[in-house]
Amino acid sequence: MRNRDLSFWLFLSPVLLALALVVIVPLLYGTFYSFTDWDGLRATRFIGFENYSRLIHDTAFLNSLWFTIKFSVVTVILLNFFGLSLALIVTRKLKSANLLRTVFFMPNLIGGLILGFIWQFIFISVFSDIGEALGIAGLQGWLSTTTTGFWGLVILTVWQMAGYIMIIYIAYLQNIPNELIEAAKIDGANSFQRFKNITFPLVAPAFTVSMFLTLSTSFKMYDQNLSLTNGGPFESTQMVAMEIVKTAFSSNEMAYGQAKAVVFFLIVAIISLTQVYYNKKREVDM
Amino acid sequence: MITMKKMLFVLLMLAIAFALAACGGSDEESGNENAGSGEQVSIDIFQGKVEFKDQFEDLVAQYQEENPDVSISVKTVGGGTDYDPVLKTEFNSGEAPDIFNIGGPQGVEDYREYLTDLSDTKAADAALDGTLSTVKDGEEILGLPFNQEGYGLIYNKRIFEEAGINPDDLLTYEDLEKAVQTLDGMKEELGIDSVFAFPGKEGWVIGDHAANAYLSPEFDQDVMKAYQAETLAFERADEFKRFIDLQADYSVGPVLSLDYSQQVEEYFSLERVAMIQQGNWVYPSIQQMDEEVAQNIGIIPIPVEGHEGSIPVGVPNYWAVNNQGTDEEIQAAKDFLDWMYTSEAGKTAVLEDFKFIPAYEGYDTDKIVDPLSKEVYEYSEAGNTIGWIFSGYPTMWGQDALGSNIQRYLGDEATFEEAIDAAIAEWESARQ
Repeated sequence: MRNRDLSFWLFLSPVLLALALVVIVPLLYGTFYSFTDWDGLRATRFIGFENYSRLIHDTAFLNSLWFTIKFSVVTVILLNFFGLSLALIVTRKLKSANLLRTVFFMPNLIGGLILGFIWQFIFISVFSDIGEALGIAGLQGWLSTTTTGFWGLVILTVWQMAGYIMIIYIAYLQNIPNELIEAAKIDGANSFQRFKNITFPLVAPAFTVSMFLTLSTSFKMYDQNLSLTNGGPFESTQMVAMEIVKTAFSSNEMAYGQAKAVVFFLIVAIISLTQVYYNKKREVDM
Repeated sequence: MITMKKMLFVLLMLAIAFALAACGGSDEESGNENAGSGEQVSIDIFQGKVEFKDQFEDLVAQYQEENPDVSISVKTVGGGTDYDPVLKTEFNSGEAPDIFNIGGPQGVEDYREYLTDLSDTKAADAALDGTLSTVKDGEEILGLPFNQEGYGLIYNKRIFEEAGINPDDLLTYEDLEKAVQTLDGMKEELGIDSVFAFPGKEGWVIGDHAANAYLSPEFDQDVMKAYQAETLAFERADEFKRFIDLQADYSVGPVLSLDYSQQVEEYFSLERVAMIQQGNWVYPSIQQMDEEVAQNIGIIPIPVEGHEGSIPVGVPNYWAVNNQGTDEEIQAAKDFLDWMYTSEAGKTAVLEDFKFIPAYEGYDTDKIVDPLSKEVYEYSEAGNTIGWIFSGYPTMWGQDALGSNIQRYLGDEATFEEAIDAAIAEWESARQ
């Protein structure tokens, strides 16, 4: 099958070139700079692992890393739960199935920054108005504490991405052969048993894909974070990506920010690859 | 199959057309440049103040009409935080502009090797006392001030009148506190939500501006002393605390999610609060919201013991000329800056179109139209000012270190002493 002749490489070259120019070369450059005292204008000397050893004691970075991990765990679970639930709803034989699919997918079409500002308005103004009208104190003062900031971000992300994950699950759900389900029905399995023993194992590949997507997006999230809370209050809802941008561009420590970015890259790569490896092992072939 | 082939063909044609168009575009551009560099001097300006982009471009066009042998291209990238990284990229990519902006001592240090001495310009002679101290290196003057800005407590004259408060009397903290309590007691009659709108979300309002008033005396109001200081004592921490507390306690809440646009537009412009801590730069926003309110506002000073009746006034930005250009380019850049700040046409534009508070002598200041700028200028002219030292803070210290620690205090996550100590520790570690 694999005839890697000239045309193979010819067709591949535009992509390879683009990938090399925008991903691989900057990655190498960046790693190189993380060992220097680069300030964006000039790098005067090599400082070895100084940036990296400094980073271990940097509470701002560690706090943001911990916040990001908490956030990722919660959003990955919720996203997959809602994604699969929505997919199950719209694959039923409902009249409105197509309409619902569109509606559920819609939030994904709005850019992250704009969504952040829309939800900021909802959390701050709409929530507090509703809270005032109904006398629920818990709806007031959203985004002004760390907890509400955290849940604000979770709600926003889940609302935005659930539709996208839904599409992936739909694709796999529709691939499940009807015979299997019918056979199970004849054997007397109720709907929960059918879901647990047939549907669930067969959409496992979708889990691999969705987990990978949700993990890496929630780890790398920046624009929603920026527009919704901007790290506030007191930098407690600041995620790693944002912390890195601040180090590099606001505090002007380009090399140090670069070192953080390299560490962050390694963390995301390791987590995502381990996850894919384990999920792959658990998939069943038909 | 036929349709597939057709599709491919169409796609191919599109790709070719696109490629041709792209080539065509670049050809044209280089053609222009060639024509320009014949006998003309062309200079590039890269500036970061989006608020006056259009007016500035109009002025540049006017200059080019008067001086046909100079062609100027202006590039604007805005909003403070974005400007510096882009400027760095320009320098890194070898497209360094001829005229660019620097913010203060840190900017001078970062770009020192690129800065031209501007002491032979007319504008440098005309610059007001004290506006050049941050950009001086020995005898050399490395930047020219944009304008002056000042801040304090901006108040709504109508509300003050109805409450029977004379703003001119509010000099000490005690006076201010009494007035705030009066206003707070009359909230219903005055139809306001609260006395203040305190934007706790904005670290710069707390850490840069409010703190500056109380830190400035410690450094003799000299930004260079702050820039060189390895630590700070924060002698006036108590005064700073009560000023922050006063604003936070009598503010619409919750303060920690209140931001700049809510403060200025939603609360102050709609007359839902009586006072906000801001500067003359908010005038255009208020004017856009409500012309009538905008004409009825003034500034009262932030109460600082020993400096009653003074407001913090300073220069937010400087023009710098790149010394890497040819002699003609450098001269053309200097001529343009001189023309902008010292010729009659330039002066008119600076005052009336840019709506700047001039940082230079020889302006007809009766022409300053907005009430805030006028008041700031009067304070400045009378010498009743407190120097801006926050451009001498360690990079981002005001916003990220002090600002976020005070936010922690406002959110009951730390005591005030803990917040100040943490901020001082960050200052020290940045200056090691």
